[in-house]
Amino acid sequence: MLDPGSLIGFSILSPFAAAAGALLLGRMLALGSGWLVVAGAVSSTACLAALALSPSVGGVSVPWIPSLGVAIALRADGFGLFFALLVSAMGVLVALYSLAYLGAADADRARRYYASLGVFMGSMIGIALADDLILLFVFWEMTSISSFLLIGHRFEEDDTKRGAAMALQVTALGGLVMSVGFLLIGQVTGTFSLSALASDPAHARALLASPLGACALLCVLCGACTKSAQVPFHFWLPQAMVAPTPISAYLHAATMVKAGVFLVGRMVPLFADSPLWFPLLAGIGGVSMVLGAYQATRETDLKAILARTTGSTLGMLFMLYGIGNASQDALGMLNHALYKGALFLVAGIVDHHAHTRDIRKLGGLRHALPVPFAVAALAAASMAGLPPLLGFVAKESLFEGLMHAPLLAAHPVARVLVLLATLVTGALLVATAWRFVAEVFLGSPRDAAKHSGSGAGALSIAPLVLAAGALGLGLATPSGLTARIGELGSSRPEPLHLALVPHLGWPLAASVAALLLGVLAYRGREALAAWGRRLAVLPPAARVWQSALDAVMALGDAYSRRWENGSLRWYLAATSLCVPLLVGYALARLGLSYRAIGVTLQDLSPYGALFCGLIVLAAIAATRATTRLAAAIASSAVGFLVAMVYVVYRSPDILLTQILIETVSTIFMLLLLVHLPRFPRRDLGRGAQLLNAGIAASVGLTVSVLLLLAMTPGLRETDNLATRPGGLLSLALAEGGGTNAVNVIIVDIRALDTNGEIMVLVAVGLCIFGLLRTRRRAA
Amino acid sequence: MTGDTPILHVIARFAVPFTVLVALRIFFQGHDLPGGGFVAGVLFAAAGAMAFLAFGLGRAASVAWWRISVLGLLVSVSTGMAPWLRGHAYLDHTILHLGAFHLPSATFFDLGVAMIVFGTLMTIFVELAQERR
Repeated sequence: MLDPGSLIGFSILSPFAAAAGALLLGRMLALGSGWLVVAGAVSSTACLAALALSPSVGGVSVPWIPSLGVAIALRADGFGLFFALLVSAMGVLVALYSLAYLGAADADRARRYYASLGVFMGSMIGIALADDLILLFVFWEMTSISSFLLIGHRFEEDDTKRGAAMALQVTALGGLVMSVGFLLIGQVTGTFSLSALASDPAHARALLASPLGACALLCVLCGACTKSAQVPFHFWLPQAMVAPTPISAYLHAATMVKAGVFLVGRMVPLFADSPLWFPLLAGIGGVSMVLGAYQATRETDLKAILARTTGSTLGMLFMLYGIGNASQDALGMLNHALYKGALFLVAGIVDHHAHTRDIRKLGGLRHALPVPFAVAALAAASMAGLPPLLGFVAKESLFEGLMHAPLLAAHPVARVLVLLATLVTGALLVATAWRFVAEVFLGSPRDAAKHSGSGAGALSIAPLVLAAGALGLGLATPSGLTARIGELGSSRPEPLHLALVPHLGWPLAASVAALLLGVLAYRGREALAAWGRRLAVLPPAARVWQSALDAVMALGDAYSRRWENGSLRWYLAATSLCVPLLVGYALARLGLSYRAIGVTLQDLSPYGALFCGLIVLAAIAATRATTRLAAAIASSAVGFLVAMVYVVYRSPDILLTQILIETVSTIFMLLLLVHLPRFPRRDLGRGAQLLNAGIAASVGLTVSVLLLLAMTPGLRETDNLATRPGGLLSLALAEGGGTNAVNVIIVDIRALDTNGEIMVLVAVGLCIFGLLRTRRRAA
Repeated sequence: MTGDTPILHVIARFAVPFTVLVALRIFFQGHDLPGGGFVAGVLFAAAGAMAFLAFGLGRAASVAWWRISVLGLLVSVSTGMAPWLRGHAYLDHTILHLGAFHLPSATFFDLGVAMIVFGTLMTIFVELAQERR
């Protein structure tokens, strides 16, 4: 038997290992890469099950960035373990389903699919078991990226590109905001460890007292809302339905979208006492719940219908956290994963069979697809909350909880609103569940169903298992098994009172009312749709998001056109202007000005004066030159004359460098001369000329003052940094074994700086090579 | 590229090998006297440029000069990582004693610098020289 730490490690690493295997061996293995991922998912499920059966809470922690208190810390508490098991067990089913779904797709495509699936699975389990906020963030972003790859599986199609990009933009943006929230939590409490944050109430009090605490809550909620497709970020989920159906079932029903809910569950001990908690979560969750359930009745694409109801159920879970009924979260997640996973997979079978997902073209499939029909009927019954399925048990428990919610008892208005919203949502879900079964499987076959493809075959296995789970767990309620799972897996374990045979009372009345209202809603769906169209005052959220993105693009465009317009003269002016500004700022900070200059003309040697005079002459010649070659020669002359100044002042190191650099730049100039435009340019207006003259003068003045200050003796204590005992000269000999302090500084004492510089140099060389080569090849 | 004059030919025939020798000298004296990897690299590149100007690019056009700079980066970084073997920090140089001869390990780092400077400059020279108007 392995110790808990290794089990946790294995459960996360085995899907990653499967992904690596699929990526490396995929071309050889073809379908085998799918089996690799199945094996990875099975082994991680086994590890997690072993952890769940062991009595103690396992954990492992490896220092990662100790100076910042960040660790690779993993912990298998009940909530995390429940979520991880949900991910890995669904992973097994989805990978099995994918084997049949992808079929004989080409090996390269399958390789990419299974590798992304493995990475996604590993990162999701990582989110579930992470005990460190930074580690959780890393896994979070990995799910965003791998889900982008999975959604974009059929990347040749424009719809796919758009949907995948939107999913990535929204979730990655939310993830970044969330990371800010995590950093704020770390800032206020001084720790990133989730278990430490949850166990010590002092941390929650610190967050409550600090204004940063409210910011942190908002940021973290933003991450959770984007991931779980809550209002106002609910629009990406239907767009992401361009994904292959098993991916939609896995990411958009069972696991990834629940990561936001999971995160909120993790934050309960930290923020539940915040005054923002109840209004924000109950508000966002309630609105998403009703809106999603309503929009589902208007969609016509099977998967979009399911996606909208998913957003609705996730909203319900958000609301549960908001009103303080956290103890029901695991039950809700499990219930939703079972029936919604099954329905998604059935939608995939229908699509495979009839080659359409448009519900208006479907009908009468019960004869062609008997097993999927049974599965869909069971799952839809669970969604509608019919006994004896798990959905019924969960819904009764939900209503029961709402009646006794501690936070709602204090807010009578909110209580009525929440109850009404839940009732309406329940009714709309009933209508959608009935619509799914009735319009796809019942009735007479329509055009699309007639010339149909293959039967369900092996594809039925995974949805069958899920639907059987929904039925089995419902039937197992009296034995106490269902309540036990719900309790152990909850973020706040409290005894759940579940009953298969309900007592007469308000919860049962609410269930019956939801059912009746649902039938009415299905009957009057056209009137409902017309009503909704009249009520819709806001533009569609997806369009708002798109215009916001377009605005950002337009801003970038305008910026580039104004500031990065390719005019070298403008670049030179802007860069030069930084010299007086930055140097002036630095001098001002040090309290230095031209008054501190302690150098007089007597310090000037005759040779120095001679060369300086020549430099001035050469500079004037460069500006007066009539051809570019003359200007180039004159400015080279300036460089070599500066080198002569170094001779006068005996600095052989700089002299050598200066001469060589001057030589090389002269060669560059010669090579470039032929490519440059006509010279001299006389197209500048009076104002621009004055501006350039001003910039040139200010650069000259600033540099002169800086150099004279540098030569002033005794100005700074670093003056004799080199020559004093223990200074750089002696250090160079002792540490670097060289007497040339300049070079020893470059390669030894400050070698890390040089290390960075040479990397830049290599990168510059490669860039120039790439740019010029590709341009020549294109021409 | 033009530069096909007898004067340049004659000068380059002597000057190029001489420059290479000076560059070598400058590289090795760098630790104690003016010089070092950077200057030596520039000098090597200057020798190369001189040869191109006099005799044309020839086969040098098809050489992947950037590989030298990447190789140099490898040399420098692996010199930096060598101290890890002894449990020391990155770039914690030492002095190798080979009998009476002292060789600071920083020399290898400097060699990498020289290769990078040479490779990058040669890349730019050769690519610019092949640009058409």
